[in-house]
Amino acid sequence: MGLPGELKRRIQMLFHREQFRRDLEEEMRLHLDLRRQQQLDRGLSPVEAARAAHLKFGNTTRIKERSLMAWGSETLESFFSDIVYGARALFRSPALTVVALLSLALGIGANTAIFSLLDAVLLRSLPVKDPQQLVLLGRGNSSGIGDNFVSTELYSYPFYRQLQQKNAVFSGVAAIFSMTDDVHGFVLNNEGESNTDSQLMHVNLVSGTYFPMLGVRAQLGRTLNEADDSSEGDHPVVVLSHGFWKRSLASDPNVLNRKIKLGTTIFTIVGVAHREFFGTSVGESPDMWVPMSMTKSVPPGWDAYNKNFVQSMNVIGRLKPDVSLAQATTNVNLLLQQITRGFSDAVLSQKNLNKLSKTHVPLTPMANGLSSIRQEFSEPLQILMAVVALVLLIACANIANLLLARSTARARELAVRQALGARRSRLIRQLLTESLVLALAGGMLGIGFAVVANRFLLRMVSDGFETLPLDIGLNLRLLGFTFAVTVTTAILFGTIPAFRATRLHLTDSLKDGRGPGGARAKNPLAKVLVVSQVALSLVLMVGAGLFLRSLVNLNHIDPGFNRENVLRLQVETDVTGYKEDDPRLNALFQQIESRVSALPGVKAASFSSFTFHEGSWSDAIFVSGMPNNENIEVHQNVVGNGYFDTMQIPLIAGRTFSTADTATSQRVAVISEHIAKTLFPPGNPVGHHFGLGDNKPEHDFEVIGIVKDAKFDSLQENSENVNYLSYLQRPWNFGDFEVRYSGDFSNISASVQQAIKSINHNVRISHVTTLDDQVARTVTNQRLVAQLSTFFGLLAVFLSAIGIYGLMSYVVSRRTNEIGIRMALGAARSNVSWLVLREILLLVAIGIAIGIPVALAADRLVANMLVGFKGADPVSLTAAVVLLLLVTSAAGYFPAKRASMVDPMEALRYE
Amino acid sequence: MKRPPDAGDILQGTLDMLILRTLLMGPAHGHAITEVIEHTSENALEVEQGSLYPALHRLEDRGLVSSQWGVSENNRRAKFYTLTSKGRKELSAATGRWHRMTRAIGLILGESHE
Repeated sequence: MGLPGELKRRIQMLFHREQFRRDLEEEMRLHLDLRRQQQLDRGLSPVEAARAAHLKFGNTTRIKERSLMAWGSETLESFFSDIVYGARALFRSPALTVVALLSLALGIGANTAIFSLLDAVLLRSLPVKDPQQLVLLGRGNSSGIGDNFVSTELYSYPFYRQLQQKNAVFSGVAAIFSMTDDVHGFVLNNEGESNTDSQLMHVNLVSGTYFPMLGVRAQLGRTLNEADDSSEGDHPVVVLSHGFWKRSLASDPNVLNRKIKLGTTIFTIVGVAHREFFGTSVGESPDMWVPMSMTKSVPPGWDAYNKNFVQSMNVIGRLKPDVSLAQATTNVNLLLQQITRGFSDAVLSQKNLNKLSKTHVPLTPMANGLSSIRQEFSEPLQILMAVVALVLLIACANIANLLLARSTARARELAVRQALGARRSRLIRQLLTESLVLALAGGMLGIGFAVVANRFLLRMVSDGFETLPLDIGLNLRLLGFTFAVTVTTAILFGTIPAFRATRLHLTDSLKDGRGPGGARAKNPLAKVLVVSQVALSLVLMVGAGLFLRSLVNLNHIDPGFNRENVLRLQVETDVTGYKEDDPRLNALFQQIESRVSALPGVKAASFSSFTFHEGSWSDAIFVSGMPNNENIEVHQNVVGNGYFDTMQIPLIAGRTFSTADTATSQRVAVISEHIAKTLFPPGNPVGHHFGLGDNKPEHDFEVIGIVKDAKFDSLQENSENVNYLSYLQRPWNFGDFEVRYSGDFSNISASVQQAIKSINHNVRISHVTTLDDQVARTVTNQRLVAQLSTFFGLLAVFLSAIGIYGLMSYVVSRRTNEIGIRMALGAARSNVSWLVLREILLLVAIGIAIGIPVALAADRLVANMLVGFKGADPVSLTAAVVLLLLVTSAAGYFPAKRASMVDPMEALRYE
Repeated sequence: MKRPPDAGDILQGTLDMLILRTLLMGPAHGHAITEVIEHTSENALEVEQGSLYPALHRLEDRGLVSSQWGVSENNRRAKFYTLTSKGRKELSAATGRWHRMTRAIGLILGESHE
């Protein structure tokens, strides 16, 4: 019989199983009848004849099965029936099934979701050509614009140009403006008209070498090139990101004919970047890239193209194939000295030269890209990863425990089936299939859960206005891994009892459940699982307690200003076209301040360059008669006259800004208490003069007042060096506007916005929120970790409780007989309960004893995430132990109670 | 459930050969095959039904026998097995093997031949 014929027959067999079965039965029936006839002929009685025939014939079920097997169709057929049988068995014990499925889903889902985020933030390589060849000058933890003599993080554009020409180690160098500019721009149609309202666009200025050096191709049109960046101001071209093209231009194929208006300049769209390319900063995907040559045309119009000593660029290089990181570092540092000294406007003072000679630039591999969110989230994400990994362990232990208990309880069923002729391998395969059904169903749920959790997490880490642009597609490798771990657990522990049970002598198993033999059946594996679940849960609970307390402490830190009842919003004045030093701009600000202050319900209102956690402009200050340490950076905040009233930062000495301080009067400053104490000579600093930054005569300021310290960048910062300047003396192209109010937020918010629009309806208002919200958002990390670790901690305790419940219910049912005997002999019900509870408490105690040192060790790992206390926290530890004891006792209580309810007579008849 | 080995149990693998040999005389159903083997061996060999049907189906699966439904001696529907030409070849090969083996064993046990 040829192979095709063979296959055809096999398939026919599959469909004609029933026919085959009937035939086989008939065949065997005939055989039996003939044999019986034969025995009758020999003179046996009909009953004896039938018996003899049957005896000789043997086990018909087994023959049928083996005959079917001879046809090779058994495997497939029994697989289907096993699946059906397995599903039915699972439906029969819904509680167990639900818990097992949830354990699996949460174990797989939480791990995959958090790892996917971790991967997107920390691990994934940039989607560019050979990312491992890319290096960054500096450490990549700084962004902004500065005017120092030398800096190791940010570089001036002319420096980049010189480095590009003179270096011997890079095959390509590119410069990226370290901030994206947020511009309200317009998309224009073919006729150059805008038919939509303005929209927020994140614009990244880059050198012309950016795309070629990264090896990023265009999806449409072309990318930027060196020619676009060759001379300042005359290359109004823009390359869109794939995301922006899709989102805002509906993937218009004729996009190359359209234009973008940023500020007052119209830019030609020359291309769309490749689909996968999101930029070089993880978590910051720009909407478009503009050549650095156009910097002045992109609001706010940074002037950095020709300034040798204005540092604003991140510089990245691509190492030549045979150049090591050490060689490149040497070359870059040599060039840093040469180029900095070589600039025609270099101030080669002794101080500057000293500083330069001490400067060393480290090179950082940047295969994974730059990221501001990386530092922020790497620690919390790693902690959460550890937490969910523990949850995965607990979930596995739980599944193992449940399946173990269940399958062991089925030992008798298995023995019966074996006695009826089922082969051992067949039984094992059936249990395997059942476990597989459970594990796969749980896995599917887990994937669904991961997808939901992923989006939820991303929203949690995003800042509230816009979702972080991260590609958080599920990490398939990790999904595979967690899937494999849980499925293996399920299969392993679902099947172990099958091996055990089927190895037993049948008669013993059939008799099992009778007499104390069953009660003695220890289950060390299950106990070890419960103990480890308890220990792990304790660790998670203690961790959750620490993070929660830390969060509470953090929220109780006094920021130095009153965070309640302050409305804050962003007023963008790009549309007016006024430059920073245009007096009309200050007039506009003053008008807004006075109009809003006069509104009912408004107590004070003021512009400021910063409020809280918004970056900074920092500069050294030089106080005459004091040793000047230019490394002490002082945050400079340019504010309106009403700022201190609005923020309620108390004045300690002197006065705050008044209308008497004008552009032509003596420049004045209000300093924080901390700088008054540390940077000024003893005594009252009011009346003292100091110099700012480059210490030029026009930057001479007189101290007019001292205010209480206020936090500037984070609640946890220690140094509160803030120097306040008046915008009437030091113009600033503002954004922040704060309003102290009383009454209803939304009413005030509406009337304030209306008032601003009534002065100039072109200005754009955005980011409307409260100061309290803004402060709260800076502890997102801590909140995220506290909430999630609490969730997972409780989950762990819950899973452990279920594990204990399962184990104990099983133990009680196994011991029903023994309990009945004890009670018949006079044991009190309470004694019986205690018998069961004692076992639970012992396991929990062992678990806690193991868990405590582990938890203490783990505390030390997270010590620098904690605020307000150090490491071992007795409160969290005690709380965790008490909670764990309560929950596990409750879990054990029900089986114990059931044990005490046993009716002795009933129990003795049991089985 | 293990029983001590018995001369009546047919050596593993030889059952196939015996079935094929029996069918050489013409088509037969399962019971008839058992009867023939037992009678011909003067009841020294006993065919376990637990082995017979799986063996028959195995042989059919390998194409050594074919089957068709017919009527038995007691007027019942019965499945008759027929030796195929492939089965004939297999039988002669198996018989050859068997003779070679019994001769070899006989030599070792010191029995004389011829």
